[in-house]
Amino acid sequence: MIVDDLSVLPLPDWSLMLPQLVVFGLAILLLAGDAFLPKSSHYKVLTTLSIVGYGLAMAALWTQDGKNAPTFWWLFRADGLGVFLSLVILLASLITVFVSASYVDRLEGRMPIGEFYVLLAFSTLGALLVASAGDLVMIFVGIELASLSTYVLTAFAKRRETAVEGAMKYFLLGIFASAILVYGMAWIYGATGSTNLDVISYALANANASSSILGEPSLLLALLLVVVGLGFKMAAVPFHFWTPDAYDGAATPVSGWMSVVPKAAAFAATLRILVQALGPMADDWMNLIAVLALVTMAFGNIVALSQRNVKRMLAYSSIAHTGYMMVGLAVAGGIAGFNMDATGDEGISSLLFYLFAYAIMNLGAFAVIGWVQHRGRGIMLDDYAGLASTEPLAAAAMTVFLVSLMGIPPTIGFYAKYRLILAAIQAGNVGLILAIGIVLLSAVSAYYYLRLVATMYFSEPSQTPRETKTPLLNVGIAGLAIATILGGFLFAVPVYNLADRWSRALEIFAHIPGRFF
Amino acid sequence: MNGFPLLSVMAFLPLVGALLIFFLPKASQGFPKMVALISALGSLVLSIVMVIQFDPNAPFDANNAVPFQEKIEWANGIGISYFLGVDGIAVPLIVLTTAISVIAIIWSWDTVKMRQREYFIALLLLETGMLGVFVSLDLFIFYIFWEIMLIPMALLIGIWGSTNRVYAAMKFFIYTLLGSLLMLIGIVATYQTYFQETGERTLNVLRLQEGNYSPTFQFWVFAAFFIAFAVKVPLFPFHTWLPDAHVEAPTAASVILAAVMLKMGGYGLLRFNLPMFEEGTRQWAPIIIGLSVIAILYGAFVALVQPDMKKLVAYSSVSHMAFVTLGIFLLSLQGLEGAMMVMLAHGFNTGALFLLIGVVYERAHTRQISAFGGLASRIPAWAAYFTLFMFASIGLPGLSGFVGEFLVAIATWHYNPWLALFTFAVVIFAAWYMMWMFQRVVFGRARGEIPDPHDNALTPEEVEMLAAAGDDGHGGHGSHAMPLPVSGGSHDAHDAHGDDPLDSSKWHDLSKKEAITLFPLAVATIVFGIYPAPIMRIVEPAFQRLLALYN
Repeated sequence: MIVDDLSVLPLPDWSLMLPQLVVFGLAILLLAGDAFLPKSSHYKVLTTLSIVGYGLAMAALWTQDGKNAPTFWWLFRADGLGVFLSLVILLASLITVFVSASYVDRLEGRMPIGEFYVLLAFSTLGALLVASAGDLVMIFVGIELASLSTYVLTAFAKRRETAVEGAMKYFLLGIFASAILVYGMAWIYGATGSTNLDVISYALANANASSSILGEPSLLLALLLVVVGLGFKMAAVPFHFWTPDAYDGAATPVSGWMSVVPKAAAFAATLRILVQALGPMADDWMNLIAVLALVTMAFGNIVALSQRNVKRMLAYSSIAHTGYMMVGLAVAGGIAGFNMDATGDEGISSLLFYLFAYAIMNLGAFAVIGWVQHRGRGIMLDDYAGLASTEPLAAAAMTVFLVSLMGIPPTIGFYAKYRLILAAIQAGNVGLILAIGIVLLSAVSAYYYLRLVATMYFSEPSQTPRETKTPLLNVGIAGLAIATILGGFLFAVPVYNLADRWSRALEIFAHIPGRFF
Repeated sequence: MNGFPLLSVMAFLPLVGALLIFFLPKASQGFPKMVALISALGSLVLSIVMVIQFDPNAPFDANNAVPFQEKIEWANGIGISYFLGVDGIAVPLIVLTTAISVIAIIWSWDTVKMRQREYFIALLLLETGMLGVFVSLDLFIFYIFWEIMLIPMALLIGIWGSTNRVYAAMKFFIYTLLGSLLMLIGIVATYQTYFQETGERTLNVLRLQEGNYSPTFQFWVFAAFFIAFAVKVPLFPFHTWLPDAHVEAPTAASVILAAVMLKMGGYGLLRFNLPMFEEGTRQWAPIIIGLSVIAILYGAFVALVQPDMKKLVAYSSVSHMAFVTLGIFLLSLQGLEGAMMVMLAHGFNTGALFLLIGVVYERAHTRQISAFGGLASRIPAWAAYFTLFMFASIGLPGLSGFVGEFLVAIATWHYNPWLALFTFAVVIFAAWYMMWMFQRVVFGRARGEIPDPHDNALTPEEVEMLAAAGDDGHGGHGSHAMPLPVSGGSHDAHDAHGDDPLDSSKWHDLSKKEAITLFPLAVATIVFGIYPAPIMRIVEPAFQRLLALYN
């Protein structure tokens, strides 16, 4: 959009971005609280503030629902896709507060909890901005805001060398990836003349007939650069090298958080750029994504087999789950030519639902690791020996999460995988191969998840647990475990329908380009 | 009883029991087993009510209400509904499940000392899973129940099993999981194809049976389903998890595994593969018949050389269960009815044999055949039961094992006489390995028993011993005699320790609890061996319906 006269520029509609503003306000309040409140009250006050803040932001999401309107001159879009992704991100942040408070406050030499919450809030804000971005620039700003805070969070347990090492690797590879991503964006701008996602998509779609910019090598280069940059952010193979070290090094609740929120932000960016903007080029990127998906899930699952460090194992499993989610992207049907049917796109809605399910079960698994660390156990497989006889409830909760990660009914992980397979099989032969890949590798993954269950249940306890009380963490784990089980049948369908309905929102602008030019 | 959700209550009663035990951790010691027994008995009573009310000739298709139908639309958008119902194929297996579960719980009454609460939770969850599989007519619900069974079973093997239990539990889990994941692809593919064909999204099994699928599609999807069920049966070459699982599992889990879980495979083939994929069935039938005959012989041959009693029975299971797949894919009424009878008889007989092995294992802490001898004189009641079930397992006419295998063999004869030759021949092998074990364990010479001086096969050493014992003026009673080398067993030094667990002279015969678990199985195997008509009456209409698809 070209504006000649700045005075006619419409004013932004602030009310459309209420949830984002709430999180922004939360971050500012946390900063102030960290600076001015007495240190002894930080834990109580700031934790409460965070919980209330994320809760309010989630409530505020409902003001965005059904709006489908842009603001800030199309930099920001309050559409359904953004709402669902924001829901996942805010939920994950809320849960992270529950499961991290005592860890940050007590373990690893008492980390400053005020700073922790501030970084968490800014990172959340960044992810939220990506989720609702309408412009490449906004996507980049959001990703950077989310990533920079996450780099610091990774190094938060700074007394441990592995934390600093992991953060350093993450940081260096991350900024490298950002550079590649922004370079790709620049090429897209060069080819289409805009950074606005809808304008790009419109330009590409209308280029079909007359000119042939779709086949332009420069566009293909742009596509490749963007995919590489985003691949880094979502930890797809072969751009995953930072993942195990960063997950292993970071404080446990941070690892859980990293596996969900930055990943959600990366998938949000991917959906926005590939599906929304480069949708007309779907033929070019779909097979690329399909191959990456297959390689990612195979590599993640197979390497996870040999891990004896539980956090590292979950890091590789996280890579594998990225692969599963990419299947949803690879089989997203009906993108080219804007002819999505009224029921929404199965591929994208299954990806969205998987993200939701993954957030719940993976945060749960990391929460149990943190819980166990509170009791003086380590993070190696052997440290879990006989957990079921000394701490039966923790072992039961961990089993629920692992079973869900395996994708066994009646858990939420199964329903998510089921919908993914359903979407894949509908997409023809490529989808069938991907579906078979998912099930075979799920069987492989059962081995390493099950090994942890076996260690907890079948071995004799080697350590006596340290007595300690973690009420907030207990509430978090119990809530997640119940959600994992009930999510498999009770509210799986309503949530999925929500994802389905909201995945439809992508098309809104594509259909009415006239309003725009 | 109109409107009473009998099947749901029956299937979920054990789950309620499990939840009760889970949420009341502070209750007294005896609480878990009491709750377990009461909920399992409740399911048993409901299943008997179901049999009494069941009308074998009731319609069983998508357009009519099926017997005991419960249908709640759940996710209309993707065609999932909570749809339960039974036909003549499911009914006998349901009763078998509820009965065996009660027996397993009674058996575990005083044998499980470690982590009792968890043990009974696992048993009850397992029962809910098994019953759910038999009653669900929606593929999605079915799959959920199918997978739910895996975890408690793996835990039962892995926690309460014997030495190599972790390996066996993992192997069991991953084998069956891989099979069922392939089935998941099959389920989704069938669903999708039916949707493309008719525009209706449904996972209703009875509805999906009406679809017309292309032969290529049927070929592959049949295979996807078949592998899942073949692993469970287990059909050669998918059987390798079974001996490990059986040997390591605790007795009650072995019984459930043999008596019920293996039947899931046969049931799945009858419920899904045959009615949904007629063309696929026709294409695959010769291959499966071939595999079944191989498995019948293979299982018997391998059983011949097993030194471990449980392993021997496990391989005999491979052999017997192959009669089921053979009978099913002959696609004749005799074959199908025979398969059903084999499934039930195998449930009674093998279940009972595992219980009997459990009895001596409790006393001797070993299952090696070579460690036992002369139990007929030491624990006669046990020996009597063992004789009965061994003969039933071999297929002695008049006992339940005979009916099914004979029917299948007859059906095979109609299919191909040469093939039938092998199936008849296996009875000889079955007699061989069973008799071999029987002769050594039940008769033979007991540990510490004085050799018979008229025995021509005495070693010089034994003759000397005998002479020495005679000089001392004892003679006669083995329990007072000096320890003597054991016939056939290890000749290592068993000193006159009074606490030798292998010394069968100190064993008590079957306890009241053990007798309670064995008696109903003995009654069942005799009654249905002589008079199988009640079962036939229930299953025949269901099989007629099935065969109507093939004529």
